[in-house]
Amino acid sequence: MLGLGLTVLAISLPPWPGAALVLGTALTVLLGPAGVPARRLWRAYRVPLGFCVTGAVTLLFQVGGPDGFVTLADGGPARAGLLLLRTSAASLGVLLFAFTTPMSDLLPRLVRAGVPAPVVDVALMTYRTGFLLLDSVRRVREAQAARLGHTTRAAQWRSTAGLGAIAFVRAFDRAARLQAGLAGRGYEGTLRVLVPEARVSLRFTAASLLLLAAVTAATLALESPLS
Amino acid sequence: MHIAEGFLPPAHAVAWGVASAPFVVHGARSLTREVREHPESTLLLGAAGAFTFVLSALKLPSVTGSCSHPTGTGLGAILFRPPIMAVLGTIVLLFQALLLAHGGLTTLGANVFSMAIVGPWAGYGAYRLLRRFGAPLMAGVFAGAFVADLSTYCVTSVQLALAFPDPSSGFLGALGKFGSIFAVTQIPLAISEGLLTVLVMRLLVQSSKGDLTRLGVFLSGKRNRTESEAAAR
Repeated sequence: MLGLGLTVLAISLPPWPGAALVLGTALTVLLGPAGVPARRLWRAYRVPLGFCVTGAVTLLFQVGGPDGFVTLADGGPARAGLLLLRTSAASLGVLLFAFTTPMSDLLPRLVRAGVPAPVVDVALMTYRTGFLLLDSVRRVREAQAARLGHTTRAAQWRSTAGLGAIAFVRAFDRAARLQAGLAGRGYEGTLRVLVPEARVSLRFTAASLLLLAAVTAATLALESPLS
Repeated sequence: MHIAEGFLPPAHAVAWGVASAPFVVHGARSLTREVREHPESTLLLGAAGAFTFVLSALKLPSVTGSCSHPTGTGLGAILFRPPIMAVLGTIVLLFQALLLAHGGLTTLGANVFSMAIVGPWAGYGAYRLLRRFGAPLMAGVFAGAFVADLSTYCVTSVQLALAFPDPSSGFLGALGKFGSIFAVTQIPLAISEGLLTVLVMRLLVQSSKGDLTRLGVFLSGKRNRTESEAAAR
């Protein structure tokens, strides 16, 4: 709730100072109570940060106008800066959610939120098979590289196409073997998995709501003096 | 290609979510019906989702010399049909947002609309159209992947132009700006994805004809032989 709440605040509140406050709060929670190592956080954060910077650069320019076809936009740096602040704060909110919420715990609970059980089952299968396939593809790629499969452009095309085909074949082969195994155990179409019991912590929920309310109040209070 | 987290204003994020919802609900109903009728489909569809997820993680050599990754929507739509791809694409985009920090939760609706709805439908439409006029299988596959990739970027350009109109020339200026940025990189990448998809399909025709027949890419009997001959060409 805290991670998603901070993400919603990042895009809903005025970027200055709202997104800056969200950014600081998310960073503090991630490095403090959540216990995420700084190096690991940076490795995860630099990817979306790169997208945020690339996206914001386009706002620096405008098309048409008296000075030329493509020129620097009036107020472009300010707009780009505010967008960068908003996207980087929102991304950090999602990272807080991703670092603190195991997907395998979350997915089965989506049924209670009204998502059809077959869709959740397919999502669970995708999640579990996806990582096995990624690992398998990584090892095949290493083997291809060891056989000079990525040295020339033609070899690179051949190898990449081979990877795509191998991913398909292995995915369906794994599904067929899983099907045979489950059929032997009386599979009727529902993938029942053990979900660890998790009680809603009233203390944590109250503290999260309080923190979100404090960020909102601080934004509204500081907006006029800092603008 | 994915619109990053927090990039769209709240009203746009909600509007694209609402626009995507009917397609995803329709796909979820198709998927639920399929799973109820054939329980074993859960595993196959999960494998299909994982395949799409992995496909989008492959590094694609571009004809310009740069490197990107395929969208996988064209191949996915040809193999699994667009309604199913709407659901699988949504699941994959959700995982990409949460596990790879690629895309976002607030921009999920917009990304689903471009990558899991418009891309697959446009690509599948191009594929079916060419096949109906008797084009070889691989020509249809190339067109499907090319159109799916390019239409995804066209929709993304529209989404960004609507969210960030140009200060002097408005929506059209912004559309030209985002469109031209994407065109420089995306037309070569769409060609690359089309070529890669053809190569993947060639390998699949050789190694997984049974699966392709089960998925309806090949029809049984005489038509199947014709398809195989077309693929061999």
